[in-house]
Amino acid sequence: MARLNEEGQWIVLMGLLVAVALFFLAVIVNQSALVGQTTAEGVLEFPKNDIRDLREAVFDYVDVYEMYGEPTRKQLRNDIIEISLERKNAVVSFSVDDPQDILGHEMRPVTIHYNNGVTVYDETTYH
Amino acid sequence: MVNDAGQLYTMEGIAAGLIMLLAAYIVVSTTSIYTTGDTHIPDMQLEQLGSDVLAMMDTPDSVDGESQLVKFIETGEGNDLREAFLANCTMRSGDPDNSLRAQVYLSYRRTGGNVNTTPISREDESYTGRENAVRVTRWVQLTGNPSLPPDMPDDMQRSDPQTVLVEVLLWRA
Amino acid sequence: MLSLDFLVGFTIFLLALIMVVSMVPGLLAGLESSGIDYDAVAYRTGVILVEDPGWPVSPPWESKGVEHKDKNIIVGEEGIQRMGLAVSREAPNILLSAKVEKFFNDTFFDRNDYRSKVIFGDIPYSYRISLRSLDDTYHYMTGDLLPADYGYIRRVVKIKEPSWTEIVGSNSNYWTAEPTMPTQNFIVRFDFSQLRDQTISPVYQIDPRRESVNVTITKFEEYHNDTTNDMILQHIRFQKVGVADDIPFEYEIEDPDLYILRVDGNLHHLTPNTTVSENISLVLKPAATADFPLDDDSILNIHFTFGNTKISGTHNYDYKTPPLKTGVLEVAIW
Repeated sequence: MARLNEEGQWIVLMGLLVAVALFFLAVIVNQSALVGQTTAEGVLEFPKNDIRDLREAVFDYVDVYEMYGEPTRKQLRNDIIEISLERKNAVVSFSVDDPQDILGHEMRPVTIHYNNGVTVYDETTYH
Repeated sequence: MVNDAGQLYTMEGIAAGLIMLLAAYIVVSTTSIYTTGDTHIPDMQLEQLGSDVLAMMDTPDSVDGESQLVKFIETGEGNDLREAFLANCTMRSGDPDNSLRAQVYLSYRRTGGNVNTTPISREDESYTGRENAVRVTRWVQLTGNPSLPPDMPDDMQRSDPQTVLVEVLLWRA
Repeated sequence: MLSLDFLVGFTIFLLALIMVVSMVPGLLAGLESSGIDYDAVAYRTGVILVEDPGWPVSPPWESKGVEHKDKNIIVGEEGIQRMGLAVSREAPNILLSAKVEKFFNDTFFDRNDYRSKVIFGDIPYSYRISLRSLDDTYHYMTGDLLPADYGYIRRVVKIKEPSWTEIVGSNSNYWTAEPTMPTQNFIVRFDFSQLRDQTISPVYQIDPRRESVNVTITKFEEYHNDTTNDMILQHIRFQKVGVADDIPFEYEIEDPDLYILRVDGNLHHLTPNTTVSENISLVLKPAATADFPLDDDSILNIHFTFGNTKISGTHNYDYKTPPLKTGVLEVAIW
């Protein structure tokens, strides 16, 4: 042929355009389906119940602080620390100080630290 | 009229058609249909429900009362714990939600120092082929009753007070 | 004039295009854009109801306001911003019965109130919220009938009912052989720092500014002094320890939103000057106490003034609460 006939190339061009549009649509569809998934994952990921439960466990420990001597208290502390590490995959540490007078009641300052790799929680409170 | 000058159109048409079909095929086959299980929403609902039930079982009904959960652990009643747990989980406005199953485990620190986990309720009959299970936990402080609760493993015995972790595996049958 | 080959090429292209376009709806098969977040909204509503005491906290949002119908104005000029049922921030999953009863009051709240104060969000969701206790004493529901598909969350809770104290006539602590004349005084003391004892779990603490308190005196005939005449309850006054005057209050107006006083079963206002023969019961609601000039370690005295009785003394309000009731709260959103 004398020259390449390029008149039909518009057909291929249309075909390519449709293919690109399809890919774009698929990307959008993919992103929107993740909305529901990440909401639930966000809720699942934040250890709300774990932290609340840990606080209660530490307060239970503070409640019996005076009943036992230091070796038993150390065992109780290590129970919580080691089981947290092994079963809950969280690094936990807490400490209790001498009682102070708050509003007429003797309460001890308590410091709690929690880290499960994703969320870090630190608290200083009285109990 | 019929000559091969228009063969190019035909080829272009076939090429375009092939490109579009290929693109559509790739796109449709790579986009997965999301089932509700993929979004983890049932997991979130079960986890919240199980945590709530353990927390409520651990709350005494009056200021000088006793926590139901602590009592179950101290007397070693794993099966009763499971029944009480499921009774609270299945409670609903209408009919009870009977498709829930649970299995209870106890994690404690051995005298040697490392952690052991042991099941304390009977194995469930429908143990295989279940959907995703969630694990909910609750700390329990034991006061060191010198006599070991029945059915507890021997290396748990410590007459000192200790803190143990109750774990419940919850799933829908 | 179009050549045949052109037509053939174009036809093949069009056929392929039609096939592709008909495959596209399959991409969107698993999706409904508005339904994606029903579960998340239901979860959030569940958290607001079960773990949040609502706003304002003190005076509590469930106490009725200056105008009983005007739910947007309560004492202090703040409207109800958020309705939550928890006893307090530190006691999640423990619901207060007064908040529960107010929340499910369909005649006071309408759909827009529930949407704007509990559910939140830009779209007007349909909802169904229900609470049921194990022993069926609480069986509340608000909202529409459930459709086929909806977002859902279920929370297990315990319900705390108001505390009370009962002074039985044969309690000789308050019986005296030599009563003061001409009137006798009996005081029920609310020591806030004791009732809100921080060493007791917040679940069981009693805060008269947030919950109703109930004082009941029974078997009153045992305090009778001169049996030829009747015993008289002259008036009841509220006093703050340390302040000489009574707390300013509408003592001569009956207002069931602030208090309920029953003398022998009949309703009265706080200056009844009426005869008493058997029992007295006073329910003091948080709408009244929240208004008193009290703070966290004040002592509130409820001062009963009687005539012709042998009663005297001070009774410290103690912890008698009914046991917590287990229940289940369900939220469905669609």
